[in-house]
Amino acid sequence: MLKSTERNAGSFFIIATVFFFIGGILTTALPAVIEKSWNKPSAGMKPYTESEARGKAIYVREGCWYCHTQQIRTLEADVKRYGWRGVDAPISTPSEFTRDAPHMFGTKRTGPDLARVGGKYDKSWHKTHFKNPRDLVPGSIMPPFPWILTGNNGQDFEDLVAYIQSMGRTIPWRPNNDYER
Amino acid sequence: MSSGLSRAWREEPSSTLFLLSSVVFFAITTLVGLLVATKFVFPEFMGNISFLTYGRLRPLHINGVLFGWLLAADMGLCFYLVPRLCGNKLWSEKLGIANAILFDLIILGAVFTTTAGITQGMEYAELPFVLDVGVVVAWLMFGANVFGTVATRKHEKMYASTWYIMGAVIWTAFVYLAGNFATIFFSGTNQANLNWFYVHNAVGLIFTPLGVGIAYYFIPKASQSPLYSHRLSMIGFWTIAFIYVWTGAHHMIHGPISQWLQTVSILFSAMLIIPVWTVIVNFFGTVSGKWDKVRQDPILKFLMAGTTFYLLTCFQGPMHSLRTVNAIVSKTDWIVGHAHMAVLGAFSFFAIAGSLFAVPVLAGRQLHSLKLANQAFWLIFTGGIVFFAGLWVGGFMQGLQWNNPAIPFIDTVKFMRPFWIVRLLSGALVYVGIFLIFYNLIRTLTGSAVERAATSPAV
Ligand code: HEC
Repeated sequence: MLKSTERNAGSFFIIATVFFFIGGILTTALPAVIEKSWNKPSAGMKPYTESEARGKAIYVREGCWYCHTQQIRTLEADVKRYGWRGVDAPISTPSEFTRDAPHMFGTKRTGPDLARVGGKYDKSWHKTHFKNPRDLVPGSIMPPFPWILTGNNGQDFEDLVAYIQSMGRTIPWRPNNDYER
Repeated sequence: MSSGLSRAWREEPSSTLFLLSSVVFFAITTLVGLLVATKFVFPEFMGNISFLTYGRLRPLHINGVLFGWLLAADMGLCFYLVPRLCGNKLWSEKLGIANAILFDLIILGAVFTTTAGITQGMEYAELPFVLDVGVVVAWLMFGANVFGTVATRKHEKMYASTWYIMGAVIWTAFVYLAGNFATIFFSGTNQANLNWFYVHNAVGLIFTPLGVGIAYYFIPKASQSPLYSHRLSMIGFWTIAFIYVWTGAHHMIHGPISQWLQTVSILFSAMLIIPVWTVIVNFFGTVSGKWDKVRQDPILKFLMAGTTFYLLTCFQGPMHSLRTVNAIVSKTDWIVGHAHMAVLGAFSFFAIAGSLFAVPVLAGRQLHSLKLANQAFWLIFTGGIVFFAGLWVGGFMQGLQWNNPAIPFIDTVKFMRPFWIVRLLSGALVYVGIFLIFYNLIRTLTGSAVERAATSPAV
């Protein structure tokens, strides 16, 4: 069968396409159908507020996601490192991310994972951090973002912080609701 | 006095236009890469200007080298070699010219959108909707020209390069639609799965078949020896066609995605060794006994070094997919080293070699300087090895440190600094080499007739 493709561009076209779609459908369309949890929002999840949604747009625009992942993987290392005062960070599940388009799982950790960063720091910390991360964390290579602090009369900063504080909060995981605002 | 450029333009304008614009973008977008590398060492470098911040220059660098340089160079080389393999002319030069102009306009548009922060927020899929539509149109134009040329061919039997290029035409269309249009209808894990399907296959089913197809043409040409085995090239082609597409989920191993899908991606990643092996055996088999030629000829050097990097990349890939290895290297700078070996080391080497071969033919004169091309090779090659290896070592150790939660994250950032300095310096060497390639090709096209006589013997 494959031999004929050496001379016949038509049969080449068909076989190359069929091969592609076998693997393509079984790895993208099939899971979308059978993996119900992938589009079933987790119990406590509400849509983003307007402010959070604007904040997420800034996060997308500034490429924060090139340096920060948002996924606690099924690894001891992640669960411990991103936990809080001895409490393990819950492993990220698909249900927590159904409202995310674009998804923000990320792929590179130049900075720490942010999946459970919501409530870790208060607003004034973030203000100083965005102005110049090295004022708070010497040795950091996170870029300064002065224009976020001033953008839209400060609304950009409010929105971004609202988004950050929402991260990883659909599962209440810190004891005694111990979250910074 | 007619320059090489005017001859090239008269003879094969579409190919010329693609090759010329791609090498210009090569010189520009790799410079952007150097700026990005600088920011890792001096985070405040150009840091207070919004459109030059890291998060905007990174997508400019990546989209720029992938599409502005590599894809455009590959398209130009396809226009060069498909008609030669088919024994006829390009189906339509007019269509080809329009194709190249449209493609360049898209890239210029992308320079604007990425720096302005206009993005769809997914890796490799940053370009906004309008530009995505433009890419699809440009690709259809390209495909029509390739298939038009193949359909009107004089030689009935098709050579390996032709299959690889036809395969790339078909797959690129679907892969691009999946990554830039299908994703619109999904969110969360479903969208991420499609996104990684796209990213992985952009490398595996776009740049791999184009690069390998180009090498399949130029390795026998430049070494003046017949291809080692046609049968092997056929096995290699159809195994890659079947296997590659299954592996996208290996980008999310241990992540919020089903275990069975992770396992499928790991198994198929391991099987990738088969097509890769056929390519390697074929390429090395072809030049065996011709190694003295490799010593003199920069084109063969790029081709064989590219082949070696291809082997190493494709050996690393399956390794990273193994769960235990993945738990160390994933999300670290190791992966950045790996990605650069694939795109710069393997596929750009093939495209550089092709350009060094094709541009003089198009221009009807010899390469401006063989010596300069050899020097460029050594700069890019040695710079590249230090660049990749530095990031592997640093990234691997950083990965080990991350696995010990007692080490504060910031300490692992500080730990990377020397490796980022090495990356910057070796990257600068690579850049000098790239600039020499750019200069050499431009001079080949524009230099005066006098210099032609002064160049060294024929390739
Ligand atoms: C060049 C990579 C880079 C970019 C881009 C970047 N960061 Fe960071 N980020 C880091 C690094 C490195 C750290 C760790 C050191 C520190 O806290 O400054 C960090 C730390 C953080 C932290 C603290 C995390 C913790 O658990 O302590 C937050 C929150 C954060 N970044 C948010 C952002 C946001 C929001 C953006 C986009 C506006 C952004 N980052 C862009 C590299 C980056």
